[in-house]
Amino acid sequence: MGVVPVTSPLYALHPLTRLHTLVFLGVVSLFIDVPEINIALVLLILLYLRWARVDLSGLRIYLPLTVTVAIFMFTVSIAFPNRDPSFHTFRFAGITLYAESLYWTFASYWRLMAMLFGTIQYFSTNRERETLVAIRSMRIPFAVTYFLSLALRAAGMFLEDMRTIREAERARGLDETSLSLRDRAKLYAMYMIPLFTIAIRRTDEISNALFARGYTISGKIEGGGKRSDYIHTKYVFRRRDAILITVMDVLLCSAAAARIFLGAFAVAQSPLRHYFLTAVSG
Amino acid sequence: MSSETLIRASDLVLEYPDGTRALDGVQFEVRENEFIALIGQNGSGKTTLSKCLNGILRPTEGSVRIGDLDTRERGTTKRIVTKVGYVFQNPDHQLFNNTVHKEIAYGPRNIGLSGDEVERRVSEAARVCGVKEELFGEHPFFLTKGLRQRVSIASILAMRPRVIIVDEPTTGQDRRQSVEVMNFLRDLWEKDGHTVIIITHEMPIVSEYARRCLVLSQGRVLMDGSTREVFGSPEVLAQTFVKPPQITRLAQALGGYGVRRDVLTIEEMMAEYRRVTSS
Amino acid sequence: MDAATIRGLGWKYGGRDTFAITDVDLSIPAGSFVSVVGPNEHGKTTLVSCIKGIIPHSFHGVWRGQVEIFGQDTRSLSAQRLAQETGFVFADPEAQFTSMTVEEELAFGLENVGLSLREIEERLSWVSALTGIDGLWDKSPYEISGGQKQRVAIASVLAMKPRILILDEPTSMLDPLGKDAIFSILLQIKRETDMTVIVVEHNVEQVAPLSDLMVLVYGGRIARAAPPAEFFQDCDQLVEHGIHPPQATTFLDRLRREGRFHGRLSARFEDDVEALKALLGPSAGQGTRP
Repeated sequence: MGVVPVTSPLYALHPLTRLHTLVFLGVVSLFIDVPEINIALVLLILLYLRWARVDLSGLRIYLPLTVTVAIFMFTVSIAFPNRDPSFHTFRFAGITLYAESLYWTFASYWRLMAMLFGTIQYFSTNRERETLVAIRSMRIPFAVTYFLSLALRAAGMFLEDMRTIREAERARGLDETSLSLRDRAKLYAMYMIPLFTIAIRRTDEISNALFARGYTISGKIEGGGKRSDYIHTKYVFRRRDAILITVMDVLLCSAAAARIFLGAFAVAQSPLRHYFLTAVSG
Repeated sequence: MSSETLIRASDLVLEYPDGTRALDGVQFEVRENEFIALIGQNGSGKTTLSKCLNGILRPTEGSVRIGDLDTRERGTTKRIVTKVGYVFQNPDHQLFNNTVHKEIAYGPRNIGLSGDEVERRVSEAARVCGVKEELFGEHPFFLTKGLRQRVSIASILAMRPRVIIVDEPTTGQDRRQSVEVMNFLRDLWEKDGHTVIIITHEMPIVSEYARRCLVLSQGRVLMDGSTREVFGSPEVLAQTFVKPPQITRLAQALGGYGVRRDVLTIEEMMAEYRRVTSS
Repeated sequence: MDAATIRGLGWKYGGRDTFAITDVDLSIPAGSFVSVVGPNEHGKTTLVSCIKGIIPHSFHGVWRGQVEIFGQDTRSLSAQRLAQETGFVFADPEAQFTSMTVEEELAFGLENVGLSLREIEERLSWVSALTGIDGLWDKSPYEISGGQKQRVAIASVLAMKPRILILDEPTSMLDPLGKDAIFSILLQIKRETDMTVIVVEHNVEQVAPLSDLMVLVYGGRIARAAPPAEFFQDCDQLVEHGIHPPQATTFLDRLRREGRFHGRLSARFEDDVEALKALLGPSAGQGTRP
């Protein structure tokens, strides 16, 4: 989560609104089989990130992932196609391909990409703090959000420790690059031991540190009253946030309803598919 | 009398992925049988340099040669580890076996030594580090911090490296523990002929034990000389917020009375005092 | 009223055979600066943890005696009351930082005790200025150094305006620059507030000049408790108990034993230099260099 820009027009929106984009973009594609729409969605997200001043070159790390997924999906689809007799077939490079099955994979891939980028856009524009504020504004009990916060912090500490542990093991002659895949798996099991040792020792320290700050799980203060929420007040929930959230919710429900009840966004409605099948059969 | 150069860093540059230059052109030679201290404030590059010296980190530019091995080559880790050992500051980062014996045996086994040889190395390293045989079956997690540090050092020594680098040997320890560790390192250097390199912030330790000092600042070597030379040059040190030990500063404050600037210990101060007051 | 009154204190951790501390009697005057020194694992942390109230609150074991802070028995106070009366800073800057940003970290304790938003804002400005962390509010723990984290830790504890501030080896994991920053903050706290400060430290050289009272804990007991000038009168005894006085002080002690110095030993470097200059007399500039 390191690419979050320092300044961005996005920060005018309340974290809850931004969290909503994660839910919206992550879920809406479930109802959309038409790849054209999903491709457009991905492009839209990229433009959105551009507008939000996210450094797009930082997203390059996801490239290998998208390529790997494509290769995997298409290989499986070609090797184990859905051999429905009504499907058009054609030969390519000596293999029999089933057009509808192949197109379905194409559509599924883009649906996956839309959901993936929907998630990526959220984590590229929100720091952990904003996520936690968003969750807190949903009136979830403080203990839960604080636990999440601690878990996030612990994960961060884990990662830093992990780096040190890998270096430390290098110093003991452990050469990761020369190991077989199976040995590498064993290696990660080995890394877990120092990680847990350190985590266990730290747990004591962290709980003492929390005690020293008067933290109580209940979130209540003696003498009555609730816990103040200073950090929460730094983010203002405006009318535009309410509007945007409503718009997203409406769009999501409409898409779902249209798909389920009206059969909209089905893959058969894709113009590209029509062209593809015509090309293949004609 | 020329001593063999064990590690040679030439024009060493190390850049992190985000562009920061941790090391900006370092020339450094480590010879046999030396006791060197790497000093400098956090961020000066001393830890980064030490990790380059044993191949944990690979140079972005320039080279680090350990004997005839170049750390930029792949597959050299196992051979480097028999020449340069590195003990991390927190032993918990390095210990991962469930008995002390396995811990110390891990290195020798990993480099492919025979069962007998491994046993020999384990006994030897344990003895040198003061890890008693009764502890061999214990789980390292339950030992005291001091013992874990010694098991950590033993597990590195078992590979018989000629150079041993120790990151912060005395941080957080009291006087007695510090003296124990440092005396142990001094014996490794004086009696067993190892080259010992320590990274530390504690100047009294440096002045008492290290013979040579490398002062780093902003990725560059500010000064490379004997401990006496380095602490006797407060102007150089001021550039990097490193202060000589108090006794040295005392001597320097009394420079107007003819006291030499490079006093390192209380005994030396006593001698200087006598000399100056008798003249 | 004393900030802390300790009578016959003893504590044995559950699962251990011996008492970590025994028969501890100590009175800490309000507003004083106390340093606690001694070898590791001889009871320093146990002692201050008892003053803080973490022991016996969060630990199992056997308790003897009594600890009162400003007349209240620590065992009768709740975690929140204890947090408001005594602040505690630990040695590890990492483990203390549990939030995602500096600002959150500072506000955490204050939120826990239910202060008003305005009050929280005021206190944050005040501590942030005192500890010099004004530009760091928005940073995450991964973006700041150990020394900065430790300053944030002190700030977030100070913000609760405790009457007693306890620091357990606050500088042991920091580099010299970081150490200096902490000691100068402690000096400012001493000057600008009337807090009682208790510091456990190995760095005797830097903590002695700040101290009104120095306490040596050895073998679970208080071996010595005196103001610095008196504390260092017997350097040999201190060395036997695992403490090394500042080098300049030890040097003057040696001169004193050879009969060359007859003044008092101080713990302040500047005073030692002056004393030596006075001894060496007006021969400045006439000495010979080898």
